Amino acid sequence: MTVPLHLEAAGATPIVWFTAALRGGAGLDPVGREGLTRHAAELARRGAGDLGRAELDAAVDELGASLEVDVDRDSIALSGMALARTLPRLLELAAAVLGRPRLELAEHEQLVRETRHELDDLRDDDSSLADRFFNLRCAPGHPYGRTTLGTEATLAAIDLAAAREQRARLWSRDRLVVGFAGAIDPAAARDAADGLAEAIGGAGSPPLPELTSVESAPGLRIYVVDKPARSQCQMMLGHTGPRYGTGDFTALLPFETAFGGMFSSRLMQEIRVKRGWSYGAGCRLHRARIGSWFRIHLAPTAEVAADALRLVLDLYADVAANGLTDAEVDFARGYLTGSLALGRQTARQRMRQQLQHDLLGMPADYLPTLGQRIAAVSAADVRAAAARWLRPADVCVVVVATASQLVPRLEALGLAVTEVLPHDSY
Amino acid sequence: MPWTLDVEHELAPGLTIRRHRLHNGLTLISLLDPAAPVVSYQTWFGVGSRHEEPGRTGMAHLFEHLMFNQTTTLAAGDFDRLIEQTGGDSNAATWVDWTYYRDTVPARDLALCVRLEADRMHNLVLEDGPLEAEREVVANERLQRVDDDVDGFLDEELYRLAFTRHPYRWPTIGWMDDIRGLAKPDVIRFYRTFYAPNNATVVVVGQFEPAELLALIEERYGRLAAAALPGGGRSGAAVEVEPTQTAERRASFVKPTAAPRLHMGWRAAAQGETDWAALSVAAALLASGSSSRLHRRLVIERELCSALGCDVAPFRDPGLFRLSLNLTRDASLAEVEGEIDSAIEALAAGRIEEHELAKVKNIVETDFWAELDTCDGRAEALGHYQTVLGDFRMLFEIAARLARVTIADVADVAGRYLSRERRCLLMVEPEPDDGDGDGDSDDDSDDDSDGGDTAEVAR
Repeated sequence: MTVPLHLEAAGATPIVWFTAALRGGAGLDPVGREGLTRHAAELARRGAGDLGRAELDAAVDELGASLEVDVDRDSIALSGMALARTLPRLLELAAAVLGRPRLELAEHEQLVRETRHELDDLRDDDSSLADRFFNLRCAPGHPYGRTTLGTEATLAAIDLAAAREQRARLWSRDRLVVGFAGAIDPAAARDAADGLAEAIGGAGSPPLPELTSVESAPGLRIYVVDKPARSQCQMMLGHTGPRYGTGDFTALLPFETAFGGMFSSRLMQEIRVKRGWSYGAGCRLHRARIGSWFRIHLAPTAEVAADALRLVLDLYADVAANGLTDAEVDFARGYLTGSLALGRQTARQRMRQQLQHDLLGMPADYLPTLGQRIAAVSAADVRAAAARWLRPADVCVVVVATASQLVPRLEALGLAVTEVLPHDSY
Repeated sequence: MPWTLDVEHELAPGLTIRRHRLHNGLTLISLLDPAAPVVSYQTWFGVGSRHEEPGRTGMAHLFEHLMFNQTTTLAAGDFDRLIEQTGGDSNAATWVDWTYYRDTVPARDLALCVRLEADRMHNLVLEDGPLEAEREVVANERLQRVDDDVDGFLDEELYRLAFTRHPYRWPTIGWMDDIRGLAKPDVIRFYRTFYAPNNATVVVVGQFEPAELLALIEERYGRLAAAALPGGGRSGAAVEVEPTQTAERRASFVKPTAAPRLHMGWRAAAQGETDWAALSVAAALLASGSSSRLHRRLVIERELCSALGCDVAPFRDPGLFRLSLNLTRDASLAEVEGEIDSAIEALAAGRIEEHELAKVKNIVETDFWAELDTCDGRAEALGHYQTVLGDFRMLFEIAARLARVTIADVADVAGRYLSRERRCLLMVEPEPDDGDGDGDSDDDSDDDSDGGDTAEVAR
């Protein structure tokens, strides 16, 4: 089978970008071993072929290149960037990482320690902390709700044998998608893609299980992630959303834009422009292979956080009940169709879009026809999709804040807190 | 002819950068890229936090926010809606030496950008309501980027510790008390002083018709009058020279972090000075890439840090050579300091292999081209060098200087700049389980300075 290749050649600058991505990611981590897929992928980058970690790092750096691993719930990617003159050597190193990783015990043990340090760093970043707890609480038990990085407990449960087993299970040329952009010609890109596929091997591997869409719990649930001395609160609230590429998802794009996707959106106007309560406020329908979530985010000061949450819940209830106006839909549709050009201005951007859509399971004609699909969405389509998907009574709220300040203010507004969670508890 | 073409420079075959001057002092830098479906339109003003004064810090940044409001020809909110109507995107940023405004739109909408940007350069209306709302937004931005962000806090404190006279000692976003107190007459005076064609560079990159571009800009900007800039030119009034630091300065804080953080800074060279390139190479040797000296030693071999970074401030006047480190929970500050001292001593002694220097130069070359990938990236690079160093061609001159750096150059700057007595060191330690010591400073520095941060802040 020929490996799928997305090529965007452009010679204005002497740089080449590539990504070799495998379908299937951290969503397939076993329960109790969250972080395993990422661990296996990172471990492969720490020594491959004839090179140990230090030699491999030095070999990449000497080229002035980069070679990075990225794991999300749906895919495992190895991405590189190099000057055209050094690309052949970087591809040799990439092939070794993909096909001949050492997966050594000492590196495994050190990677577990380093991932624990990453957890510490993550806890210092309130936005990342809110994201991590939101995923956990919005969809408890679902693979999308579990962490790709792991926890103290799950990292302790990952051993080298499990990492090797996960690699054997997920790394297969049958699931490989390759993208190249920049100063490379089509023949060279095809040879390189085939070379990477050959390095991975694993042809004929069994298909991976398909995940089922996220189902969030009913009711309004408010979780306060308690962190000392917060003058500001990172706030995320949302619930299940439609799968990317479906008719409902496309119909909700103008809603996402008009409610929280532009500076002139309702959330930005009400929260930031009129009240100055938060530097930013917006919403997003998450793009994934399965239905995941619709999420609102803002970062109000501690003093107004309870009022801000009340207002956002009211705004959301209002738009869910009454929908957008025709004028809002028209404006959002125009914005969306015009903005497509901004995401496609360089070869690298175009390649990444194509590759990402391939990984998301979109047909080849989806991206080229996206503008027409959006243009065809009517205000009635938006309202119908909103009626099916917007659920203001079933919202999971996660707020990173100092609980002793926030909880009484929430309760004074009749917003009962479901649970207070120590910020370093997960 | 209202236009003077004074420079042409080839970025790559078929991509020529042109610099024109309009009769009123406006500078236009254009780079036609017929393959781009968009146009990036940026307006760079030679005004940043260095042009503020104590008690009125944060003015340049607050003003950046206000520029998205009402004008004599547009109602509040119209600017954003007109850009969004095209599918475009607009934003802005302020730092110590500059403020710039960015519009990225489909190529067909260039004329709209020209109209909107020329309009707000001259016709802004400052009402009390929007001023107060933006003041709250900026206060929130400060909480997010500084007060509740340990790295933002440390950056601010590092510059406060390192600078005692120069305006780089106060943060671009401003002190909170100043943000709360900026008065409307001062804001209006700031606008009339610095927002004028002879203090601005318009950078246009992407797909456009060159003759049409010149005509559009002449039509919209040609009638704007030049301003009398402080100091008589784009560089602004003279600022106080920072005295030489003669003793190490230290400060420590307690914050609710999981592990300690360490930031160190040494007064460096200005970006236009030749030493800046050698210092940049030194920074890359220490911390650029997983095989760099400090990453290998502190993160991989000794596991004393989880992450680190090193850079040299790209400022008009000397900024800081800055090293930031996330320590691991049980790491000893003394051990980390010892490793850093050893690494710097090795650089100063010239213990650098030729292949290591070649590695860093490859990294620099790759980064140079990667930053020029998008229309926005190209416009930003051209606007920065034109505004900070007076000539966009310094982008290429500095790339050439970086390529010429020798081992002896690195040893020389490491010895002269990165000495202990020129160093500032700030530490954040996790608060004890039963403590509430947020922000308590144990400052044993050799002076009581009152400013400093360079964190870039965007709208």
